[in-house]
Amino acid sequence: MARSAAIRQGAAIAAAAVVIVVIGWPFVRLGGVAFEDGLATALATLTSPLVASAIWNSLWTGVLVAVLAVCAGTGAALVTERLAVPARRWLRLGMLLPLLIPPFVGAFGWARAYGPRGLLDQLVGSDLSGLYGPLGVVLVLTVAATPVVWLIVAGALASRVEPDVERAARVSGAGPLTTLLTVTLPLLRPALGSSAVVAFVFAVNAFGVPSVLGTPAGFATITTRLYQDLALSAEPSAFVRVTTMAVTLVVLAVVVVGPTDALLSRRGATRTAFAAGGGSNGSGGTAIAMAMGAAIVVTTVLPFAAIVLTALTRATGLAPVPANWTSANFGEAVDSRFVGGLVHSLILACAAASIVSLLAALLAALRGRAKVLGSAVTLGFAIPGSALAIAVLLAYGAWLGDTLAIILVAYVAKFWALGHRQLAGSIDRLPPDQVRAARASGAGPADALWSIVVPFLRPSIVAGWLVVFVFAIHELTMSSLLYGPTSATLAVVVLNVQQLGDPTVTAALAVLLTGVVVLAAAPLAVLGAGRRAPAR
Amino acid sequence: MATALTAIRYGRPSPLHALLIVLATAALASGCSSSGASPSVTETTAPTNPPPGTITLYTSVTQATVDAVVAAYQTSHPNITVDVFRAPTAELAGRIAAEMREGGIKGDILWLTDPLSIQAYAADGLLKVWQPAEAAGIDAAFRGDTFWGTRFLNMVMIQGSSVTPGPVGWRDLINADYKDAVGIPDPGFAGSALGALGYFDQTDGFGMDFYTDLKANGATQVKTPDEVTTGVAEGRFKVGMTLDNSARTAIAKGSPIKLVWPSDGAIAMYSPIGVVDATANAPAAESFVELVLSEPGQQAIASTGWQPIRAAAGGPSAAGIQVYPDWQAAFGQRENLLTEYRAIFGG
Repeated sequence: MARSAAIRQGAAIAAAAVVIVVIGWPFVRLGGVAFEDGLATALATLTSPLVASAIWNSLWTGVLVAVLAVCAGTGAALVTERLAVPARRWLRLGMLLPLLIPPFVGAFGWARAYGPRGLLDQLVGSDLSGLYGPLGVVLVLTVAATPVVWLIVAGALASRVEPDVERAARVSGAGPLTTLLTVTLPLLRPALGSSAVVAFVFAVNAFGVPSVLGTPAGFATITTRLYQDLALSAEPSAFVRVTTMAVTLVVLAVVVVGPTDALLSRRGATRTAFAAGGGSNGSGGTAIAMAMGAAIVVTTVLPFAAIVLTALTRATGLAPVPANWTSANFGEAVDSRFVGGLVHSLILACAAASIVSLLAALLAALRGRAKVLGSAVTLGFAIPGSALAIAVLLAYGAWLGDTLAIILVAYVAKFWALGHRQLAGSIDRLPPDQVRAARASGAGPADALWSIVVPFLRPSIVAGWLVVFVFAIHELTMSSLLYGPTSATLAVVVLNVQQLGDPTVTAALAVLLTGVVVLAAAPLAVLGAGRRAPAR
Repeated sequence: MATALTAIRYGRPSPLHALLIVLATAALASGCSSSGASPSVTETTAPTNPPPGTITLYTSVTQATVDAVVAAYQTSHPNITVDVFRAPTAELAGRIAAEMREGGIKGDILWLTDPLSIQAYAADGLLKVWQPAEAAGIDAAFRGDTFWGTRFLNMVMIQGSSVTPGPVGWRDLINADYKDAVGIPDPGFAGSALGALGYFDQTDGFGMDFYTDLKANGATQVKTPDEVTTGVAEGRFKVGMTLDNSARTAIAKGSPIKLVWPSDGAIAMYSPIGVVDATANAPAAESFVELVLSEPGQQAIASTGWQPIRAAAGGPSAAGIQVYPDWQAAFGQRENLLTEYRAIFGG
């Protein structure tokens, strides 16, 4: 007992040290700038009408996106993991599709598909009114956040919710709805809370979607307001405002994440057995699967098809028909620097994903003892990339400036929450009896970890690794602020060719990035999906 | 490897070093202000053959233009390595602001998009005071004692190819013919749009009322001039306000739009370049600026589709009147302008 307590203590100290290095110290430096003109100035910034309205807009869109994404993601997870639906694997891959499209391009795809003069408008002469404005911002952010919710909830359904308990409820006469409400959802509570936090924080720090769909309607959020001040930050007062708004986002996250995590720390039932196969119940699976497939097509496939058509078209404003097709836009996006950027991005994405998985496992190993650290990790995800990059630059620019290492610090700070939340939704149902049994039978701590804990958590670890990998490959804002002559990333290289101006080249960039992610991650995704679905 | 060197090279200057710089700057500044661009200053700078070394260029200029200019520089200065950090204006400004709190700007040269973005650095004394020999070839309106114009960005109008009648002057944008079909870039995002806002605010017959009228005519703000070009090409807008280079690029690719040079003048902004005062390699940095302002540098800029500051270099040229904002006045008014604009357009 004493030895395992010492190990726990060591792990806690290690985890705390990493949190301080990648998140704590940069945030202290950022906070120092935010309040260097005094608390009064900071408060004056936040209460000025323009900033106050932006804070309010961020807050309510964030809450709405969290609610909608948790509903959509949980519903989808129950369908793919619990119902007897045909083409389950295809539905699972379909749920992951939105992750493949870089967030700054998602809004663009929707505008090309459903906006004025978009694909739908050209084909049937009508468009989605309200796409430019708060409605569009909420809709597109919900679509982008849903896969993360689905991953967390599906992971929890696979490793946390006991199918035997559900079956027992059904055998005892409970209907499917009663079982869902009284057994499944209560068991999912930590996963639902965790995913709601991620969705809220994702929506609040999003920049691309509100800037493309909100600006034309005069709808500003903290992130678009922050970016406008960043452009003026040659003036010290504007730079201080930037950091003040960034700190506000961190405070918002603390206010939302802290209580949610505290609420979730109550322990539930202990899992008794490994997955005993999904509970396939109910009929009408085909109809549900078709409805879900249709939703995936409308929200993801069509916008992406619109992007591909744009990338293939010679110039904007021409009809996307074969006569106007060209591959020139791809040529503009790919030059001699492309390969170097690709290598850097792959290294960074693999390193960030692996480190985050390790750190998430470390926090997981600490179980309930690391709630505060777990919450702190979320703060890195809560702040917009541009502000986080500035914080990291303030903290480590003098030592690590222009290296891959400083970009890696920023990636870990930003994406740790994604890996952590993935595990946090499943971890507290880890069967302690089995670990104890293994230890009592002579297994060392490492053996117990490897033979009991890792297999139990594998779906969540694989999913977390993949999500971080994909986000890191797409990452643009932080790298474009932090890169140096020998450390440009793929998105930086390709974007520098054309400053996000020409939409045909931007679309080609999106298609290329998506292609890279598919090539690198698809085998792993298939592997993960296969692992999560034991023989039925 | 190179990065470790960079970190060492740009360590925090010692107080004594800083004092010397301040003194030298003050001496040069007083000399310049009393006699303008005095020949004595010109003679003391820009040796033709700086020693081998590395310089770092911080820029928001498009990659193709930077590549062409660096290539031209390297044919005449093969023993100097140019490291380029290129980022959009906002990211570049954020990086510089962070670096200034950590010991100083790590770049040797700033080459930015519009005058507003460099004025604050000049006002804070972060730019070296000197006179490039090549600056003599530039109109006095586009050169100072810390930064110089390199190329023009012209804010013009565009229309869809099939739109009739097309607009002629700026005031046509508030014509009822284009009700709910005008696109303009957001001055909060695009420096060029901020320059245009400054110009209209300063000019009789426009003022902030021009933007109120635009809003009343159903004009839509999008982020950047390129988005305006796209919107007009797709038919989402009939007419719009955009940069000449953006319109020309789209037209060259075949987009169904026309560039309209406003009869009352395109709003011309110049893209400034200057040397960072704390540079560790002033001779090389200055030689780079000389090259950008020289015939070969100007030709390289022209070859990538921008109107060079020296007309003799060829390339795209003004198709009509060019008008210029009063940058000094606009610089002091920036916050007020944006606040007034936001009250009209939101965002």
